[in-house]
Parts: sequence; C-alpha cells; structure tokens
Amino acid sequence: MSAMQRMSSESASTGSLYTSCLPDRGDSASSPSQELFPAGLRVLVVEDDITCLKILEYMLQKCQYRVTTCSEALTALSLLREKKDGFDLVISDVHMPDMDGFKLLELVGLEMDLPVIMMSADGRTSAVMRGIKHGACYYLIKPVRMEELKNIWQHVIRKKWNGSKDLEHSGSFEDSDRQKRVTDKAEYESSVNEGTDGSWKTQRKKRDFKDDEDDDEHENEDPSASKKPRVVWSVELHQQFVNAVNQLGIEKAVPKRILELMNVPGLTRENVASHLQKFRLYLKRISGMNQHQSGLPNSFCNPMEANSKVGSLVRLDFHSLAAAGQIPPQTLAALHAELLGQPSGNMLLPRIESPVILQASNQNSMILPAEDEVAFGQPLFKCQSGTSKHFSSSGIDAQDMPSSFLSWPSNQFGFMGSNNDLGGLNNTDNSLLMQMLQQPQQHQQEPFNPVASDSHIAINVQPSCLIVPSQLPNSLSGGNCSMAINHNSHPSNNIQIGSSSVLTTSKSILNPSDIAFDYSILSSQSTNAPLSMAQVSDGGFKNTGLLSNYSIPVSVTSSVSTTSVCTSGAAGWRLLNSNMNIASLNRLPGHLPNLSGSLVNHDMVRNNRFVGKGTWLPSRFAVHGIESATTNWNSMKTSAVDDVDKVKQEFSMDFLDGSKVEKTKLPNFPSNDFMGVLSKDSQAGCFLKS
Amino acid sequence: MDVRLLQRQWVDHISALFREGFLDAQFTRLQKLQDASTPDFVVEVVTLYFEDADRLLNNLWNTLSQPVVDFKKVDAQVHRLKGSSVSIGAQRVKNACVCFIICCEEGDLEACFGCLHRLKLEFTQWKSKLEALFRIEQQIVAAGGSLPMI
Repeated sequence: MSAMQRMSSESASTGSLYTSCLPDRGDSASSPSQELFPAGLRVLVVEDDITCLKILEYMLQKCQYRVTTCSEALTALSLLREKKDGFDLVISDVHMPDMDGFKLLELVGLEMDLPVIMMSADGRTSAVMRGIKHGACYYLIKPVRMEELKNIWQHVIRKKWNGSKDLEHSGSFEDSDRQKRVTDKAEYESSVNEGTDGSWKTQRKKRDFKDDEDDDEHENEDPSASKKPRVVWSVELHQQFVNAVNQLGIEKAVPKRILELMNVPGLTRENVASHLQKFRLYLKRISGMNQHQSGLPNSFCNPMEANSKVGSLVRLDFHSLAAAGQIPPQTLAALHAELLGQPSGNMLLPRIESPVILQASNQNSMILPAEDEVAFGQPLFKCQSGTSKHFSSSGIDAQDMPSSFLSWPSNQFGFMGSNNDLGGLNNTDNSLLMQMLQQPQQHQQEPFNPVASDSHIAINVQPSCLIVPSQLPNSLSGGNCSMAINHNSHPSNNIQIGSSSVLTTSKSILNPSDIAFDYSILSSQSTNAPLSMAQVSDGGFKNTGLLSNYSIPVSVTSSVSTTSVCTSGAAGWRLLNSNMNIASLNRLPGHLPNLSGSLVNHDMVRNNRFVGKGTWLPSRFAVHGIESATTNWNSMKTSAVDDVDKVKQEFSMDFLDGSKVEKTKLPNFPSNDFMGVLSKDSQAGCFLKS
Repeated sequence: MDVRLLQRQWVDHISALFREGFLDAQFTRLQKLQDASTPDFVVEVVTLYFEDADRLLNNLWNTLSQPVVDFKKVDAQVHRLKGSSVSIGAQRVKNACVCFIICCEEGDLEACFGCLHRLKLEFTQWKSKLEALFRIEQQIVAAGGSLPMI
C-alpha cells in the first residue's frame, strides 16, 4: 500500500487534529475540551488495510472523536513527533508493512507515552498476550465494533488516573473514602487493566500506602482537561521534588506537602501530583520490565529484604527522576529494568522493584550493597561513605512497588530496546545500566569526596539521569560516575552525570538554575567512567528545561550509545536513546564538546515532549534524554541523528524480548577499563545480544 | 422498474446473502453506520475491500510460489485478508481465511495452495453477489426510492 497519510476527510467537520478550525483552542492539538469529553478525543489510527482504516475512521468519527488516519507506521511516528501532545490515543494494527506494530507500540510508548490500542484479526491468545506484553493498553480483535470504540477513551483516562493512583499510594493515608473514589474511578478501566490494577492495589495495601487527599483532588480532576500549564521538570526541580519526598518519607509524601517543601513559586500541587504519579508509574514499569527481563515471577513484588531499602530508594529515585526530569521513561525504565533484570549477581538491581539501583557495589557485582541507598534526589546511590543516610529516612519500602510493576508488560524492556526511531532507550538503558553497574565498583574504590559532602546530592538517576555533584568531576577520576545533584549549597550547582556511582545525597534542593552539566568531566572521565559524565553548566538549563528530562544522566547511556554520541559531540547526550553502543564511550571524550550549559540530546531537542506538560503522562520509558534542548543541541542534533540511527540499528529487536539480553556479562567489566570493555563489545554485551 | 419491486428484490437478495453465510452481523453494523450524511459508506468500503482483497490474493499467490515459502509471511498475509474480510462482513471469505491459517501453521504447502484456491473462489463469488446487490441499490436510488431498512 502506498505510503499514505490520510487526514480524515471528514475530520474537518469533526475536528481534525490538524485542523485549525478550532480557533478557540489555544494549541491546535489541544485535547478535547473537558465538558465534551470524550468527544473530541484525538485518535491516531495506524492501519495499512484501507478497508479497515476506512471503517475505523468512520466509526471513530461517529463517536465524535477527532480522527487522523495513517497507513504507515513511520508516517504515524512522524506525525506523533511533529505534534507532540497532539494525540490522546493511538490505535494501531499489529501487522504493517513498514514496521511491526509492536515496535510502533513501543516507540510510541517510549517517546510519547500515549495509550496505544493494538488491533488485529488475529485473536489468538498468544497474539493478544504479545500485544499486552508490549505495552498495549488494549487489544482489539477485528472486526472492531462501535461499542468498543465508544469506550476507548477509558484508556486515556486510566493512564492518567493510574498515575494519580500511584501518587496516592505514595502518599500517606489521608482519607480512605478518597481511596474508594479512586477505586471507583478505576472501575472505568477495562478488564485488562482491572487485573493489573487489582494486583497493583494489592501491592499498595502491602505497602500500607495511604491515600493522599491531595491526590484525590488530582484524581477528581477531569482527566480530559489535560491542558494545564506545563511545567518543565528540570533536574534541579526534580531534585527538589526528590528531596522533598525523601524528607517526608515515601509513604507520607503527598503532593501538598511536597509542594510546600519544594517551595517553588509557580508550582502547583497538581504539578507535583502529576510528577509523583509518573514517578510511581515509572517504578511500576521498571519492575515490570525487570520481571520480564529476569523472567522472575511476581515474587518480585515481595519486598526485597536485603535490598528493600535500596530497592525502594531506587524506585523512588527512578520515579522521581523519571517524573521530575521527564526522563524518558523508557530510559529510566530501561536502566531500571536492566538493573532489576539482572539476575544473580551481576545485575545491579537486586530486585525488580528498584527501578534503578545504581548503587556502588561492594564488589564487582552490580548489586548494590544493602547499605547503599539509592535515593532519588537524595543520593541515589549511596556512597560508601554512607551518605545515603538521608535516604534511609525516607523509608521507602521496597515493597511499595506495586505488584503491578512486576506485571508490567515485559515489553517495557523491549520498549527500550527497540526504538529504532526513538532513541531506543532500550539498548541504551541497558548499557547505561551496565555502566552504572560498573560504576559502583569504581565508586567503592574511590569514594567521592564531593559526593560525600552533604552538599551534594548524589542522584544516581537511573539511566536517564546521571547527575553528579559539581565536585564530582574531580572525583570521577576513578571512573566512577558519581551522580549527584548539586544542592543549593553549591553556588554553582553542577549536575554531573557520572558513573553510576551516585553518591552522596544531600537534602539540599537544587536550584534549577544551578544545574550544570559539564561535559568536560565526561571527556576526562571517559576512560574511566563509562557513564558519560556531563556537567551541564548553568547556562544549559536556562533554556527549555533541559533537565526536565532526567535523561541527562543518560549521558551514561550516551556513552553507551554509540557512535552517534561520539561522532557528534552533542550526540553524547543522545546516547540515551536507544543507542546501546557502549563502545562509543571510548570515543566520547574526544568528541564531546564542552557543552557547558547545554545538554546534548538531539532526541530531546527533537522531542520536547516532556516540556511543560502540566499533566505528565508517564512515558513508558524515561529514556528520552533531556527534554529541553538548548540551541547548542539543535546544532548537534543533526549530526547526532545519523549516528544515532546507525546505532539504533545495531540493536536487534530481539532485545525487546529480552531473550537475548545477556545478563551475565555485566560483572566482567574491569572496573578501570569499562570504556575499554565497552569498546570491545559494541553490543554492550552485558545487555544485549543481537 | 417499480421501486417497490426493486426494493423487494434488494431485500430478497440481501437476505439470501445473510442466509447463505456470505454476509454476517458486521455487514449489518456497517449498514447501520451509514446515514444520510454518508449514503455511500457501505459501497465505498466494499469497493475498497474488492481492490484490497484482489491485491492480497495476488500477493498470497506470489508468496506461495516462491522457491522457499515463508509461511510466516503467508500467515501474516492471510491474517491481513482475514482482517479485511471480517471487518467488511464477508463471512465465507473469512472462514476460508481461517482454514488457510491452519494450513499455514502446519506448513502444508499443498494444502495452502488448496486454501488459496478456495479463498479465491469464495472471494470472487462474494464480490459478484455484492456487486449485484449494489446494482439493485443503484436502480432503487435511480428510481427515486430508498433502501429498505433491514
């Protein structure tokens, strides 16, 4: 079928996505108005069967949705990327000529974090299972009926509400009635989700989460009113968020209190609630991916004992990183999954529930020592120095992770790996994780002094965000990627993305303007620190919200990623995206420009999807690099793109299945020659196997 | 011709199609979707289906004719045709697809060719019957009448 991107011919009357005939709407791609919801739901249909496409289009228009049709997956992706937040829902066929529907599903999840409904004439259980595993929020079996289409809006709502529910869970018990209300809302969900929610709810009970009445307000908001002022969750803002959460304790971290602690003018409780929601969701995904990775059963849900703290901390970190920094969830998830998925020993994450357990390991093992705590915002990785004590107070319970995390489609992991178009966090995440895992060892050997300082918040954000204290650069010599977020205490807060050894945590809250990424660190550390350490100078954050996406740490990933990073200086950041080419790390130093003040992530440049979203629908993978892009990035972006694409292609789709993930290689990296190891194995052998 | 006669003809024809399994409930749903604003919706999608299915059948023939038959590809193509058929309400064509899929899963090339042959027959027959139905419809409309509700 010829490439065809069809705009619904009748859509002009019904309100096509592209139609600007809705002058009252601020942005052309504005979401359906609250009062008309679900009418006006913006649906993108991707289907190569012209018969089905026509029928579906017609039916959706009958439902008063704003339909955009597309007969090619690549075209659909372009559409989605061009119009960030231009769609509410994607319906895609499983089989398409130019791209596997599941791949599209993953990409959409990674980049846009939109609910995707798969459809096919193949109603075999295995096919449906595959769709769900890849992250489809629903699977329609042809023929699609009007009744089913009339209810697809629930998937959009559920996605938002799930985040809210996560938010609630993270909060303290406030009002059980509100919990019920949330539950009632959850009833909108389809049976598929019900199962997930149920298990998740069970987990919640185990965690003894309490409802947050503030969350409830969030819950009560009309999910269709998604056009809220967008908040850019920069790294520093996210750090503040994390700090606040840590201070409150994960169970008691309710949006209202978090907001108060953060004390950021202009930030609303809703923003915080949304962010927290995403954080939770991210963690959930991570654990789900982890499950897939390791093939472990839901036993993951069980609190990790030895690493429960770590796990929870990590979880928190991931979440907060993902949420706050709008790190592409894929990245975060990928890293998390990697970590979690690693079995015995090699993998850093001891358990699934820890999204990112970037902890300095005592040995080469990736597993972080139990004492280490990964605290998001606060030291993600507990330094050996034990700076993590901050976090310990957070009391995040590993068990907090809802079981649903585990049940999260294993595709998430796959998501990450499979982005050919997206920055394929999958691979990068893995590599990033790998790197991070490596770091701990190094970290142990060389405790970060700066990290240890209280003024530094070591945030070892998972893959997507490696933030290291400004002082880190010096301490990174050992190749430890210490990630720490500079606290306000440091005049020039530098966020260095370093190796996984995140260190110290300090409770200070980063000033958004203080975060700086110093690429020089990266370059200097390149040989030692596989994780790209980038210290972004303050300037960098001034623009868009560079750090809105915690994928900065991805710099680590970037190192993983491949040539794209190397070849194009700015591309370094791009690494986050799916480029799992660790080998490129070696080249990083030489290629990374001193991007002071700018983070390179052409993906971010390209996809400012996380910027300014008032309601942040968690992306499946917080892998997308740093969202905000400075102008520098833009220039680098172009050059990076090709490289990235090259790299992406290196990853086989098999990665998605996780079947070829090699988990056993992780521990083999010589601590001081991570880069070398990486370079030897461009496949990021630890994680991927083509 | 008298409109009522034409309408009677139309009812008889379409009833037979349902009775004989050429059409199923999906076709009825499509008809119900059609309204004054889109009076040609059914004809339009069926016409699209005619073209699409023709092409798919040719592709299937080509795939099965390869020196080394990729049954996964065949399976995907049959599912594709099944998806179209099921969406349009072409029940017998869909049933033929189902048999085809089974043969694919078994990797039985000879049986696949047999299934393809049957599929082509079913489709050809379905197409001719629908075309006959549409001709009656055109005559009804030309005579100033409207399609009966079923």
